[in-house]
Amino acid sequence: MTTKQDTSVDAMPYTEPSGLEKIHERLTETGLTKAGVYGALALFLVWTLFPVYWLVTATLKTRETLLSFPPQWIPLDAQFGNYARLFAERPEFVTFITNSVIVTVVTTIVATTIGAMAAYAFVTFDYPYNLDFHLPFYILSTRFMPPIVTIIPLFVIFRGFGLVNTLRGLILVYTMFNIPFAVWMMKGFFEEVPESLIESAMIDGHTHLGAFFKIVLPLVKPGLIASAIFTTIITWNELLFAVILAQSSQAITVPVGLASFVTKFSVQWINMSVAATIALAPVLLFAFMARQQLVRGFSMGAVGK
Amino acid sequence: MVTVEYESVKKAYGETIAIEDIDLEVDDGEFTILLGPSGCGKTTTLRCLAGLTEPTSGTITLDGHDVTNVHPKNRNIAMVFQNFALYPHMTVRENIGYPLKVADVGKEERENRIEQVAETLEIPELLDRDIANLSGGQQQRVALGRAIIRRPAVFLMDEPLANLDAKLKISMRSRIKVLQREMDITTLYVTHDQEEAMSLGDKLVVMDKGHIQQIGTPDEVYHQPVNQFVAGFIGSPSMNFVEVSHSDGQIQAENAPEDFDVTLDDAVVKRYSGTDEMTLGVRPQYFSIHTEETANAVEAEVEVTEPQGDEQIVEVAAGDVSLTVVAPSTIDTTRGDTVWLTLEDELVHGFDPETGDRIGDPEEMVATTRASSSAGSQS
Ligand SMILES: Nc1ncnc2c1ncn2[C@@H]1O[C@H](COP(=O)(O)OP(=O)(O)OP(=O)(O)O)[C@@H](O)[C@H]1O
Ligand SMILES: [Mg+2]
Repeated sequence: MTTKQDTSVDAMPYTEPSGLEKIHERLTETGLTKAGVYGALALFLVWTLFPVYWLVTATLKTRETLLSFPPQWIPLDAQFGNYARLFAERPEFVTFITNSVIVTVVTTIVATTIGAMAAYAFVTFDYPYNLDFHLPFYILSTRFMPPIVTIIPLFVIFRGFGLVNTLRGLILVYTMFNIPFAVWMMKGFFEEVPESLIESAMIDGHTHLGAFFKIVLPLVKPGLIASAIFTTIITWNELLFAVILAQSSQAITVPVGLASFVTKFSVQWINMSVAATIALAPVLLFAFMARQQLVRGFSMGAVGK
Repeated sequence: MVTVEYESVKKAYGETIAIEDIDLEVDDGEFTILLGPSGCGKTTTLRCLAGLTEPTSGTITLDGHDVTNVHPKNRNIAMVFQNFALYPHMTVRENIGYPLKVADVGKEERENRIEQVAETLEIPELLDRDIANLSGGQQQRVALGRAIIRRPAVFLMDEPLANLDAKLKISMRSRIKVLQREMDITTLYVTHDQEEAMSLGDKLVVMDKGHIQQIGTPDEVYHQPVNQFVAGFIGSPSMNFVEVSHSDGQIQAENAPEDFDVTLDDAVVKRYSGTDEMTLGVRPQYFSIHTEETANAVEAEVEVTEPQGDEQIVEVAAGDVSLTVVAPSTIDTTRGDTVWLTLEDELVHGFDPETGDRIGDPEEMVATTRASSSAGSQS
């Protein structure tokens, strides 16, 4: 005789919602949750966008209206002449912008290219001693220490090689600092491209290199764009190394130029605002144009399911 | 004329030996199936021929040319990958035409051939769709199209039907067979599904643990398995194996000598003279089930019956020996009934319990099976 099996169900056929879940349900019904979410988003928007608004409106004010209290929320008589005045008073600013453009463009191209190639190699090939695993980590670890730690030795080395006060020197430093990011970003993308696609392309008649350019690169395009934009932003805004490694005007970049408005005796608020707005514009524009690729890039997913 | 030849090919990954001692000849236009359980080295064998995996040792020749170290792009081979490996950033049309594009075939001719292939595979309406939102069966056809557009010397397919539903699988199966026959292209096809293998192949290569176990026609591997592995792998449901002792034609199960005690036909006994212990192999179809006591039969109790339409699968226990029997559905029996099983003597196999090799002269075996078997057709 076998014992009769207990056939009753373990728990209730359904579970009562908890108190919190009930509250959430009620709030959703009354539309309060939605209102709360939108309210929080609105607050966040004001918090992030107000400084930008204040900066841009400042470029259209006079020194008096800028510092007046209570503040003038909307510039009443816009001083567009402020823009012309900056270049009249500080003509070297044109050089600063040119310098920044050169450094940023070259750094972005070089760092993204090298980073992508390195990442592809790490993902695709097996190296002895498990180097394809250890090297990327080593590369990442170069970013663990605060950048300022490396400045003194870098300065000494750069002086020895005649790289201080040159754009070449800045490009070198920025490339080095951006490669780890590019490698790790691209590694994620290359890992998502199934190996069988490359193999299939080789069977269809491509060399490995051909398969890389024709099949792999188009698939990781969002990643390339995202890491290029990221590198651009970081390089364009970099101040610390530029201040130390480039002090004479032939190598000064926009952020250093901006800092120079703060002197021992005064701060040239209007000129500084105008310059900062000019510095901000290209990055914002660039990011805005590429925002779709950027979002896809940062949420990964090369092959797009 | 394209023949393929593997000569003692071996591939090792560090300590793991993926395949070893692979000797295989595939004739021109032959449809050859690599068949075996998961991890037995089928894909590795195929990839060596495609040039995607470099053998550790051994040579592979195409029409007598040693291609062991030739780059895949320089072998005139087409391959259908298990996951299809379609290019996600291209449309169906671009995918199918891609091998021609790489080969610099002019746009006009390319378009013509794409249309032609699409007609053959009945997918012209899909041509301008994106890959991402195709169903599995549609993707499978596109992958097939990309492979046949080039008229390759050899056609490789790695479980192309594995992730299709049962019905689609059967219709694609016959489509592939027709295509292969029409194009008359030497084909190597990997599957772990023995039924698919039997229905498609001219020649089956049964593999296990990196080694080829048997090469033969579907009939040969079914009726004359060289060892216990092949016998158990081919056929559905699987062959029953019973450890038995044997003396003068009398067979007794070691676990249940009382219940499983039968005398074999004289003609069959000859095969096993001199063996007193062996593993007896009987396909579920080669038992006859009786509901009344029968002479020279195995007495067993029914454990479970699985109706299959015209047939039913009956699991029985003779003492400690479990057996699977296929019986006509007209036999009315349920759990707990006692039944009697008689053997079709000529169709049983004996295997060496140590090595698993089949005992008995294969020639003689052929003669007896041919004479009595109605299952399977001879080509
Ligand atoms: N790149 C690799 N590195 C290490 N071991 C591998 C590699 N590729 C295959 N193997 C091993 O080689 C053996 C054979 O693998 P293979 O892929 O050829 O099996 P298979 O018969 O195709 O199996 P399945 O039916 O699951 O696809 C397995 O044990 C597998 O683990
Ligand atoms: Mg496989």
